[in-house]
Amino acid sequence: MSAGTMPADASAASSETIAKATVNAFFDAYRDRDVERMAELCSDNADFRYVPFEVWARQRVLHGDGKVGTVGKAIWTALIDAFPDLTNAVTTIRADDQGNVAAEVSIGGTQAKDFGVIACTGGHYDLPHLFLFHVNDDGLIDDLVAYWDNVHWKNQLGWLEVD
Amino acid sequence: MSARSAAREFFDHMEAGEVDKLLGMMTPDASVSLVPLAVRGPMAAGGADYLRELATAFPDLLIRVRRLFVTADSTAVAEITVDGTQAGDFLGIVNTEKHFDLDQAWMLEVTPDDRISAVTAYWDQNQLYRRLGVKRLDKITITAR
Repeated sequence: MSAGTMPADASAASSETIAKATVNAFFDAYRDRDVERMAELCSDNADFRYVPFEVWARQRVLHGDGKVGTVGKAIWTALIDAFPDLTNAVTTIRADDQGNVAAEVSIGGTQAKDFGVIACTGGHYDLPHLFLFHVNDDGLIDDLVAYWDNVHWKNQLGWLEVD
Repeated sequence: MSARSAAREFFDHMEAGEVDKLLGMMTPDASVSLVPLAVRGPMAAGGADYLRELATAFPDLLIRVRRLFVTADSTAVAEITVDGTQAGDFLGIVNTEKHFDLDQAWMLEVTPDDRISAVTAYWDQNQLYRRLGVKRLDKITITAR
């Protein structure tokens, strides 16, 4: 599928095929570090949850939980800024006929700036992720959830504090 | 039974610490990948060891299935929340009797005769460490009370 094409054009395709095509297009855009195109593949009010994303401040905890248009785009932009060669490889992708998709994705990059509490030492990481999506009848992502292990990530970047 | 009910039964056994019953649902050569622990191999070895340690360390374990769908290749994909109170050392973490809750995602590949042939699990071990009082990743046996 070409970049940015709405997969719902393929009217004869099954919802499983369309959902997978949308998710593959999302990771193509992520590989191109094109946050606007990533967001265009999501519905206007798409839900976003990066489960391991927790920032513990003195008075409160910030979670990676909200909407693609606000929390999601901000996190993706910050990640790409800190890891300018950020890339990904989809290793497995599965879908049902209701728009649910599970994608195992390896994401990696080389740190060029501090990211949150993780000071930049120029380290490189490769990290397995599991993304769960729901793709609506228009072929757009309306829910995005991701899981990964921050211990593996921090160890590769040389940051050994839990918080 | 369906892949959906196999998954629910799997998590029921996990919650109850019924590891042998859980292994009875698996194919003889079932594999496991517990991604954050880098445990990869036969379910009957590393997978069973992990589940037994989990059940022993958290005897009041509760598992809530928050989302469950079955993909076209008969893989049950589940988002679960695991919570419990630590009553014994766990994965090198000294027991400080803390409560934890942790969101996880599991994928169970189910055969046409409703047996589980592969298990893959994702979670953030850093969140587990934080909830159980670990401060540094290179000193996980040192916990704050």
